[in-house]
Amino acid sequence: MERIINAWLNLVVSEQASFFIKSGIFLFVCGATLFFALGASYPAVHDTLHNVRHALAVVPCH
Amino acid sequence: MIRIISLASFTAVFLLVVPARADELNIYFKTTPNIERLRPYADPATMSLLVTDANGRPLTDGSVTIRLDAPRSGGFFSTDFPWVEGTRLQEMQLDLRRGRANWKYLFPIRGQYRLAVNVSTADGRKESKQFTFNVRENEKKWGTLAAFSTGLFFLGFIAGRVFTDVPKGIVIIVFALLAASGTRADNNSSDNDAGAALEVGPAMVGQPTLVHWRFKNHIDSASSRVLLSLAIVHLEKAKTVFEVERIPVPGEFAMNFQFTDGAEYRLVAVGEEAGSAPIRSEKIISVSALEPPTKAMIPAFGYFIGLIALGLIAGRWSKRRDTVKREE
Repeated sequence: MERIINAWLNLVVSEQASFFIKSGIFLFVCGATLFFALGASYPAVHDTLHNVRHALAVVPCH
Repeated sequence: MIRIISLASFTAVFLLVVPARADELNIYFKTTPNIERLRPYADPATMSLLVTDANGRPLTDGSVTIRLDAPRSGGFFSTDFPWVEGTRLQEMQLDLRRGRANWKYLFPIRGQYRLAVNVSTADGRKESKQFTFNVRENEKKWGTLAAFSTGLFFLGFIAGRVFTDVPKGIVIIVFALLAASGTRADNNSSDNDAGAALEVGPAMVGQPTLVHWRFKNHIDSASSRVLLSLAIVHLEKAKTVFEVERIPVPGEFAMNFQFTDGAEYRLVAVGEEAGSAPIRSEKIISVSALEPPTKAMIPAFGYFIGLIALGLIAGRWSKRRDTVKREE
């Protein structure tokens, strides 16, 4: 996948830069997922994970 | 002459002090189970106050005003009920029976609570005292947090190893979120019994709500008392969060009480008057919830993302070390 994108965009990135880009995207996705699961007020998600939020002791709930 | 005056002054002061000390009231507070064993949202604690005179005899006639304040916020992490932190949880007045006042209460969060007690006696004496006590967090919650933190670290660790090498495959990360539609019951309050009225103001997390019970047929409130039993139950958790049993009240009872969770609660009041059948009133209320403040969320989510980042670094370091070893 990475090689296809590199060939398509004609990009050459070092292994270190590649790691940081991939890690950044990964952290963003993980952060968004965590926020959606443990912080969002959308009723369906909130009600499903309500007990998990309280079980973690440090995640604020209503 | 000077010695005689000094001696007379000292005797006069001593005579004044002794009656003042005899007027002193001692206030004792304990919980069952012990404070060390109390945990938030575990089981309700029985709170007991004992007021005695200077000789240790329980006070025969008097009342106590009780104010319970929640722990202040201050730690790095918020508790799971940030709106409750530092707010007034309860304010009520109870008559002393043989110097004692008892009630049950379910503590909502960890931290240091403050209980202010003001005693007033029938003969006009007053005494006040503040008790502070610490309620520790449930150990199971710390265990769950540790397991979740370890999981996040290893998620980052594996990702760090995968991202370090030239990818030979496609890493698919699936985040499955189960969405189930929650059901919320409508606000529902049962009809009050004709003989008594139970009223509850609009309830919102973070601020006390007025709970008022009134015995309609009670005429002479000054001389006779009604025995009131009042219980507040958190319906979702099926736990009693507050309870008083057969306390003498002058035909009505009012208290400020904070409903600490945005959920449904059932209030049941039973009034007993000599010569008549007990009168039961019941009410179910829905407490308005508030979204947690952003400043309470940032530390927790910062901590979780930080753990994943640490895992990424550790995974990269681990992969590079393995590569170096293989090359050697």
